[in-house]
Amino acid sequence: MAKGLLSGSLPEEAVAQEAALSGLLLRLSDAVSALPTHAQQELCQLLALLGTSPGRWCLAGVSNPWELATVADVQAGLHAMRFSHITLRQQAYQALHDLTGAAYFSSRDTWTALGYPGPRGL
Amino acid sequence: MSKLPDPWLVGLAKGWQVLGHSIPPPATLKADVVVIGTGAGGGVTAELLARAGLRVIMLEEGPLKTSKDFNQLESEAYPALYQESAARKTDDKAINILQGRCVGGSTTVNWTSSFRTPSATLTFWRNRFGLAGMTEEAMAPYFQEAERRLNIGAWLTSPNENNELLRKGASRLGISSDSIPRNVKGCWNLGSCGMGCPTNAKQSMLLTTVPTALDRGAVLLVNTRALRLNLAQGRIQSVMAEYLSQKVHLTHTEKTSGAVEIKCEHVVVAGGAINSPALLLRSSMPDPYQVLGRRTFLHPVVMSAAVMEHEVAGWQGAPQTIYSDHFLETQPIDGQMGYKLEVPPIHPVIFASSIPGYGEPQAALLKSFANQHILLALLRDGFHDESVGGRVGVRADGSPTLHYPLNDFVMDGARRALLSMAEIQFAAGAKQVLPVHEMAKPYTNWGEAKDAIFRLPMLPLQTRVVSAHVMGGCGMADSPQLGVTRPDGAHWQIPNLSVHDGSLFPTSIGANPQLSIYGLVNRLTQNLIRRLGGRPEALA
Repeated sequence: MAKGLLSGSLPEEAVAQEAALSGLLLRLSDAVSALPTHAQQELCQLLALLGTSPGRWCLAGVSNPWELATVADVQAGLHAMRFSHITLRQQAYQALHDLTGAAYFSSRDTWTALGYPGPRGL
Repeated sequence: MSKLPDPWLVGLAKGWQVLGHSIPPPATLKADVVVIGTGAGGGVTAELLARAGLRVIMLEEGPLKTSKDFNQLESEAYPALYQESAARKTDDKAINILQGRCVGGSTTVNWTSSFRTPSATLTFWRNRFGLAGMTEEAMAPYFQEAERRLNIGAWLTSPNENNELLRKGASRLGISSDSIPRNVKGCWNLGSCGMGCPTNAKQSMLLTTVPTALDRGAVLLVNTRALRLNLAQGRIQSVMAEYLSQKVHLTHTEKTSGAVEIKCEHVVVAGGAINSPALLLRSSMPDPYQVLGRRTFLHPVVMSAAVMEHEVAGWQGAPQTIYSDHFLETQPIDGQMGYKLEVPPIHPVIFASSIPGYGEPQAALLKSFANQHILLALLRDGFHDESVGGRVGVRADGSPTLHYPLNDFVMDGARRALLSMAEIQFAAGAKQVLPVHEMAKPYTNWGEAKDAIFRLPMLPLQTRVVSAHVMGGCGMADSPQLGVTRPDGAHWQIPNLSVHDGSLFPTSIGANPQLSIYGLVNRLTQNLIRRLGGRPEALA
């Protein structure tokens, strides 16, 4: 899913992209473990639902299993959730969007592309 | 790690009584007054009570983090210093709420904007909530003391470019703007206020009132959350709390917890306007008129992201130094919703998680990060029959919830705010403006933006709404039908329980609330000292 959310920001070269995604997963895991219990539970429910075929189909409208889904499939799913009339689908999209964006761009490795120099030394 | 001197290291070395940091608190404690929360309200209360000679225990659910810990990194600051990792949300997830959760509360992480309560707001409180004593004249000495104590004054350094663009765009349209007073002393103009001030320039409660209270013998419990207030014979007998500490080791996380009961004569609740009403609800405090946790206000914020031809570097320099109240003053306070315009600091995490879209379109916005100029509008809620705010509740596990309907009345204000901000940004020279809304696109001229914003469906979730100012829920009024607390901050039904934080406000403020809390709580605490028989004290 991160490939769909971050295409255009992730490194294009395969090895570098794999490294960027591994780093992202570690940071996501840290970010989620810092959330309060009720938020973790909701996120767990969302991810569990997205992990089943019926859930993936109902929430994101993606027919291929995630491991076979292309970036285009994922983005079609994101689009469907983002502009859905169903509140739960919009909430799901925003949770994935916010968490992934925050975790990815918290790494210094992503800052050069933004033109952000990082904190001023003291 | 900041190598600058950290006054907390000196204080702890000389014997400040801080429990829950390296030493767990004992199972029982005793105090004259327990102050729950160490933010703007709790800090001022604790300093004054301790100086008045009362035995004070401060209870803080968040950790003790001090300047040596402040590395100006969002990835560290949000999980460590904010409620719910800076991702606290209303129950429909449509509003993201920023609130502090650490010693000093939100004052440790705020952007230092310091406004007195606007005169129009006080007039409304006198007329609608019977708060006859809330006049500008009566409040002035209490604000003056807070301003002296916290070095609040004009900021004489030039605004950073992000703020300067608000001044420039507004001025080209004939819209007035002014500079924002700040609570700083020797500010380095770093722009990292939201991640904890690493130079101890910000005169937050972490640096001022909490240390003074500790110097005067008060005890501070950190990582310790108030669970409930024990009520018997019509009075609070004790506060039940839970100490919870997590130490992350290489291979495992060590969790320590324990129950703490603090017996006391008086309780001051100052946990912020979500946690304070939630504590009273959890404690089943009497609420005969069903007013507790109601009328919770947020200053709902909408944003507009412009790309300039030149670098703005919105991360750099004092984050909030220019404002415009023009759109608060274009209609009566109880007419259509007005809004205050300001700018936020721009850092990667908050930007990437707030800016709409994904994939290539979002990547294009991120590539213009350094040239981004962002405006925000704080909507003044709570002054109209169609703006009754939100309602705090509690989950089965005791954690608080907030239901806040973004109805048509609020969203009409949001649409007008998006229009005003886009017009100002184009006047300032923006080459494109993106209203922060899922269905908006970057627009390249004012005509195009105006047509598009008029057509945007102003719905919750589609419109990105955030808040950094939670107010109300334990509102003051001259009758128990209209408010939870009396005009002196005491609970209407329970004489030895006071509320001293932003939850006292019967409406929103219409300005960043920290100084409104300092001034009001300064006044309420001086009265409370007289009631409790302490030595009279003033804040400065």
